[in-house]
Amino acid sequence: MSLAMGLPLAASAVLWLAGAPLGRRLPPETAVRLLTIVALVTALATGFVLAVAAFLAVAALPPVAALGHWSAAALRAGGAVPITVGVVAGLAVAVLLAAALWRATRSALDLASAAWTCRRLGPGAGGLVVVEDDHPDAYALPGLGGRVVVSTAMMRVLPADERRVLLAHEQAHLAHRHYLYLQLAGLAAAANPLLRPLSAAVQAGVERWADEAAATEVGDRHLVARALARAGLAQATALRTSSSPASALRGAHDGVAARARALLTDPPRPRRALSGALLLLIVATAGAAALTAHDTEHRFERAQAVYAITAN
Amino acid sequence: MSGTSGRAAGALEREVLASLAAAGRPLTAGEVLADLGGALAYTTVMTTLSRLHAKGVLGRQTAGRAYAYALATPLDALPASLTANRMRRLLDAQDDRASVLASFVAHLDEDDERLLADLIDGRTRPADGERR
Repeated sequence: MSLAMGLPLAASAVLWLAGAPLGRRLPPETAVRLLTIVALVTALATGFVLAVAAFLAVAALPPVAALGHWSAAALRAGGAVPITVGVVAGLAVAVLLAAALWRATRSALDLASAAWTCRRLGPGAGGLVVVEDDHPDAYALPGLGGRVVVSTAMMRVLPADERRVLLAHEQAHLAHRHYLYLQLAGLAAAANPLLRPLSAAVQAGVERWADEAAATEVGDRHLVARALARAGLAQATALRTSSSPASALRGAHDGVAARARALLTDPPRPRRALSGALLLLIVATAGAAALTAHDTEHRFERAQAVYAITAN
Repeated sequence: MSGTSGRAAGALEREVLASLAAAGRPLTAGEVLADLGGALAYTTVMTTLSRLHAKGVLGRQTAGRAYAYALATPLDALPASLTANRMRRLLDAQDDRASVLASFVAHLDEDDERLLADLIDGRTRPADGERR
């Protein structure tokens, strides 16, 4: 195993630790864009080097080498991959690839049924659909330009200026295609579980991004915080008093209170050094995968040349 | 686009619809304008209401000399409600997957609730003090 092959794995470990703090420190828009890219690149690079390790270990077995017309000894010369490491890497790749495919399929189905629902809901008013419901609810649905769905109960609890915040927030989700970032980061995390904190940071970042977009739209960060607070409390109260299964109780990643708190402090500042470091990590990880590909190809060429000489 | 006063036409349509949904009863253009406030012109609101009526999103009845507008009858909204609720069930009760729905707000714990209640009452101020 070369140093280049280890780098994507090391990057995954670093990102597992740094995912949450990165999400908190970077400005939301930067965090969502950069962390999604870093997650995808790392997931692809990790899968690739694991597959190469497995392949190298198997290819260096004498019967396989004979079958492939390359010299097993020459293949091992540039740093052998122990067969146990190769088998573990191979199994890991198989399991993770299956998980990623499963995840991609379900994402595609979810997005397709979201698009189908958008069509059933009709165009509404500028993409806004109101449903008659006593439970306060509001969400953005991707597909066909997207729809914002709100319940009458949610509209009743908010004054006009806070309704405008809610609409601007949901519209920002659709305008900036946040569902794509969410699905891609989720896919990367399925293909490499070490990237889960990164995926969670993207989920939180998307909400913060929409909050900041709404704040820009209405020109008042405090108003956005108040709208979040009122909507959050109304929903919490309704959940407590209703006997319905608490399906709206999703993971704690949403953090309404944290979002409101962030809006009460200064607007996010660009973090150029941190963004630069992340870009560097992306380039290094992609470079390591490319180098591994190049080295492996070279190694096989040499092993085939050695085989040709010794066979004649 | 015929949007005015900084809002895109689509954004104004959404706000007008939200205003009627919040009221829960038919409103005249004047009442919608009073609810939305700000720098909107009466004619802008009027135009938006009749456009939404023409699209079939709103119903209207005469109220004195003006029209009063309301959401299209609940009967018309029923399929939409059913579809939307089914969507929620399908897509939101998902284990560890990122939902394709983007909810405005979700889970709260008790400390969060206290903080948010204070915020609405105006007891919470920005950390660096907003008392100017």
